[in-house]
Amino acid sequence: MDATLSGHLQELRRGTVVVASLIVLRTPGYGYSLLETLSRAGFEVEANTLYPLLRRLEAQGLLTSEWNTDEARPRKFYRTTEQGDAIADTLRSEWTRIDSAIGDIAKTTANDKTGSAE
Amino acid sequence: MTSLIDRYVYTALRRIPEQQRGDIDRELRASIEDAVDARVEAGEERETAVEGTLTELGDPDRLADQYSGRSNVLIGPEFYPAWRRLLTLMLAAVLPIVVIIGVVVQLFDDPDIGKVIGGAVTAILNVGIQMAFWTTAVFVVLERTGAGPGRTGLRLDWTLKDLPRYEPSTVPKTEVAAGVVWPILLTAALLWQHFGLNEVPVLNPANWSFWWPYMIVALVIGAGYQIWLFRRRSYDRTVSVVNAVQQLLFAVPLIWLLASDRFFNPEYHHFADLNGGDVKHWFTVGAIIAVALGTLYDIVKVILRGEQSRRGLPSKVPGTGNYNFG
Repeated sequence: MDATLSGHLQELRRGTVVVASLIVLRTPGYGYSLLETLSRAGFEVEANTLYPLLRRLEAQGLLTSEWNTDEARPRKFYRTTEQGDAIADTLRSEWTRIDSAIGDIAKTTANDKTGSAE
Repeated sequence: MTSLIDRYVYTALRRIPEQQRGDIDRELRASIEDAVDARVEAGEERETAVEGTLTELGDPDRLADQYSGRSNVLIGPEFYPAWRRLLTLMLAAVLPIVVIIGVVVQLFDDPDIGKVIGGAVTAILNVGIQMAFWTTAVFVVLERTGAGPGRTGLRLDWTLKDLPRYEPSTVPKTEVAAGVVWPILLTAALLWQHFGLNEVPVLNPANWSFWWPYMIVALVIGAGYQIWLFRRRSYDRTVSVVNAVQQLLFAVPLIWLLASDRFFNPEYHHFADLNGGDVKHWFTVGAIIAVALGTLYDIVKVILRGEQSRRGLPSKVPGTGNYNFG
């Protein structure tokens, strides 16, 4: 049962990390900082999926990157592009739409139940 | 001495395209160091912090796959159905044909039962493995090169037309295909044993004046019958009659040639190789029985199908265990 649940949870969460990353990186950040921010915000994301994901988003033109060598440890900073911003907005409104759709459908079903019981 | 982090990074980079390695190397090290620092700040020893961080990052080969966007499957879900269909077709339809050709060639070459069986088994194994390997190899290349079905021009997409018809009266496609291929193979074998071999032809060359050309014409008529039947789409009494005629056109002269000893070349003396018995005689008797039974079976089968579809009796739906009661 646990395996079933975690499988469904994983499927439901797939894609949310992309939205969250694009939103967070409106202010430039590097891999580990983003990982920290996301896990503090309650996103369950592994380092080994997040780091490759950042490079993929960059290749798609949704993020740009720049090496910051000012500090002792050089870090690659990512920032959301305009295109990434637009996509993040679209994805977010889709998320909201799905959320309210699920709320509606749950409400309708509950009403039907009480309706038929009467 | 290379550190644990070095070993991890090198292992991951092994499987990443060269032009990306420098950048990923720097970034991955920075990320690992950041994570280690965070653990050390939280009170861990540096050594355990490194171990914990790398363990959390997991299998470096998988990480490399994720970085290079490579799928870690041999044949993905996009190609799997097409791969399975093609492989089934190769093994179920093409392999038997190849094996039969091999057996026929061996029979003419040296009809030793041990060699025939041995050759057939070897052919099944060799050709089967080759077919499975090359079919799979082609699909692996398609998968790797990222050529989607849409871009390869192969019709891999499923459409409604791919649904089998399952109509009881419908002519089975495989039988039609076999009915067309078989005459071609026989004609080729007939020509080849006479013109292709440098030795004495197995079959009687005297028959080239009439009977062999006649047989080729009968075979062509047989192939034409199959195509006619396929386009007609169903069995009935007309089909039963036409089928019986075309079967007898071929079988009766063949049996007569065999029975009157006009079939084999009198100059061909390689029959007596087996145990000193009269192999030619037994071969002739066997061939007569096989041709007669095969012809009879086919005529009866077609008549039964015709009756079945005429009366609308429930018939077994081909390819499934079901009966069609429609």
